[in-house]
Amino acid sequence: MPDKYFQHSFANGMTLLAEQMPGMQSAAMTALIPAGSGTDPDGATGSATVLADLLLRGAGNRDNRALTEHLDTLGLQRSSSVGVYHTRLGCAAPADKVIASLDAYADILLRPTLPADGFEPARQLALQSLAGIDDEPRQKMFVKLREIYFPWPIGRNSLGSKQDLESMTHAGLVADHARRFVPEGAILAFAGKIEFDELTQQIGKLLGEWPGKPPAEMKTTPATQTYHFEPQQTEQTHIGIAWPTVDETHPDYYCARIAYDILGGGMSSRLFTEVREKRALCYSVSAGYASVRGIGCVMGYAGTSNERAQATLDCFLEEVFKLSAGVTPAELDRTKVGLKANTIMSSESSGSRAGAIAHDFFTRGRIRTIGEIKSGIDAVSIDRINSFLKDASRLQPTIVVLGPKELTRKA
Amino acid sequence: MPLTFKHHRLSNGLDIVAEINPDAYSFAAGFFVKTGSRDESPDVVGVSHFLEHMMFKGNDKLTWEDVNRVFDEIGARYNAFTSQEMTCYYANVLPEFTERAIDHLASLLRPAIRQTDFDTEKNVILEEIAMYLDDPGHKLYEALMEAHFARHPLAQSVLGSAQSITALQRDQMAAYFARRYGPGNMVLSVTGQMEFDEVIRLAEMYCGKWPTVSPSRDNPAVIPSGKRVELTDPKLNRKYLMGMTPGPSAQDERRFAARVLADVIGDSDGSRFYWALVDNAIAEDADFGFYPHDGCGSFYIALTCSPDVTEKALEIARAELEKVKIDLADDEVERAKNKIASSIVLSGELPIGRMRAIGSQWTYNGDYRSLEQDMATLQAVTPASLRQLMREFTFDPMTIVSLGPS
Repeated sequence: MPDKYFQHSFANGMTLLAEQMPGMQSAAMTALIPAGSGTDPDGATGSATVLADLLLRGAGNRDNRALTEHLDTLGLQRSSSVGVYHTRLGCAAPADKVIASLDAYADILLRPTLPADGFEPARQLALQSLAGIDDEPRQKMFVKLREIYFPWPIGRNSLGSKQDLESMTHAGLVADHARRFVPEGAILAFAGKIEFDELTQQIGKLLGEWPGKPPAEMKTTPATQTYHFEPQQTEQTHIGIAWPTVDETHPDYYCARIAYDILGGGMSSRLFTEVREKRALCYSVSAGYASVRGIGCVMGYAGTSNERAQATLDCFLEEVFKLSAGVTPAELDRTKVGLKANTIMSSESSGSRAGAIAHDFFTRGRIRTIGEIKSGIDAVSIDRINSFLKDASRLQPTIVVLGPKELTRKA
Repeated sequence: MPLTFKHHRLSNGLDIVAEINPDAYSFAAGFFVKTGSRDESPDVVGVSHFLEHMMFKGNDKLTWEDVNRVFDEIGARYNAFTSQEMTCYYANVLPEFTERAIDHLASLLRPAIRQTDFDTEKNVILEEIAMYLDDPGHKLYEALMEAHFARHPLAQSVLGSAQSITALQRDQMAAYFARRYGPGNMVLSVTGQMEFDEVIRLAEMYCGKWPTVSPSRDNPAVIPSGKRVELTDPKLNRKYLMGMTPGPSAQDERRFAARVLADVIGDSDGSRFYWALVDNAIAEDADFGFYPHDGCGSFYIALTCSPDVTEKALEIARAELEKVKIDLADDEVERAKNKIASSIVLSGELPIGRMRAIGSQWTYNGDYRSLEQDMATLQAVTPASLRQLMREFTFDPMTIVSLGPS
């Protein structure tokens, strides 16, 4: 690996990654803990979400307020979220402040207080977020699309169900924490102004003693539904479309990235051109490559007024089917330039690089360098992408429609 | 941070402001036009934003297909946005595409505004208006601006309404363009890796012949209405509430203190609102923020909660606004300053972020502020300056608008 990328595995199964970025004052951290919504206990969906909140309500010898004030005194820009596979904690700031926060993050990971009096508000906040989904039709449509498209429980909303959140107990949550917050499979990624040797020593001292335990396993069942209509009185009809493609480790991955960018990535994409610019059927229309580990797919969206919804869906699907006839060399060339430029420009942000190397390691088991990504894009020739698209045409899209009126799919 | 500032004015009055960062991987360029919904007469409400769309439809050299294709050919991250008081067109590219980026943006800003394109795009604008009607946050914000600013032009909607857009004519738009788009009312902001002399040469070549315009902007005094408006939508589960009260303007030196104060009171983590409303789950979101405008400014409250606790949440928020005047502590000011200092460092590393920052600063104030100046001004903010600010801006009157199921 070029000398600005680093990797170290600890005996307890935790991996430390880093990318040194010359000329930067800042650093960013992304920590992925193998406790995602996919392994929420039966009958306690939403558990990882409530835990991610409770985790930050006190750790080590700092109570809720002291912990927050400590991290704020360092001026950290913080974030936390729950995905299918992980609970994610992130921060970014001038590099010395990120390093100075590591002991507090070690407390959060190893010695969270998980206070009983914090449980009820954490649960209430999750319930409120869940209720909020109904107020935002576009978001609600996507929740439904992921739910029916992906194998269960990969597509399950990380907020869980109302019933499960309501029956959740503090004791259950503490037990779940003990089961799932383990170092094996955890990934700590840093990017920016980083000294790797010092960082390794410090992380070793702080987290090396975190006792290793195998992470919780996820059992999946395949998706069965390919169409769902959600009746709702809305100004616009919200249409979501998903279909399968290669995953991120597949040799044709860059073909897929480029092909679906041509379909729906930007303002010169086919969908934007045909659906919006030529026919003015909607304001918002797009599609693009999406993935979770081992599963690649394309996700598309169009939001349009109710009387134009059927025409929008028809036009959208027509463009999808047309893609199997191939793309033009000009489309390929400009999309390659765009993807490469994006890759290089992402190297200007420590936060985006920390997230990217953590994601790479989880999905591919290694970091991709910027150079490797560029050569991957360069290697896609017109013949290769068009033969990929020909083979990829046996698709059966899954469709979700949210709005006042049901739509039909033309044969 | 090795950032250098440069400024040059073309003979037609176009200002070019540059912040050169030799460590950057990219180059960013943006044209900032000092025009927006507040500059529209009542018969053309929504024209600024609609015109922004029409810029992407080309001219005698470019078709609408060319406009988007060229941006993609140079791998640009590009877009445009319209606010109440500014319209901006920008592109972020690798340095090898500097010339094509400036050429293309400049070309965009001399549109044909063809009747057929105008008629087609009208439908897209109507779709955009419909889209935002499904978004309670946006609906609430527009209603708040309208209620708070009352007869001030900031009350006008950026998107306009379905009625105003339907009635709008192509020639009205062309006249608005001729009045407002030109040197004298715009600035070209460039940041990242570049040769500044080359940028001047390109700007001269592509923008040097543009006619100068000298529009004015009405800046009447704001008379905040202080009224309370209740909007209902039976489909909603939660209640959304916003309050607005006067604050310093974009030109006011007190705006730095205002930003610190806003973080002390209502940052998403560790603020007074966080502890009083979110930590205990009374509200899912409780923000207090600061909007500086041209010639006036506002502080705002934004709450999202269950309908049954909205009044209680508002009471708590207003009580916090009174309490902070009495018991503001040194350490909470320090924490807010540290968070803002981090965001200054992080934004300095991104050419696109700096392009927007120096472009807005020049548009509003006609000057440049370096990251070091921002940092020094931030460090000079003290608890005493915040207390003084709260004697001058007392959070009263406050206009309040809510949107919920009943």
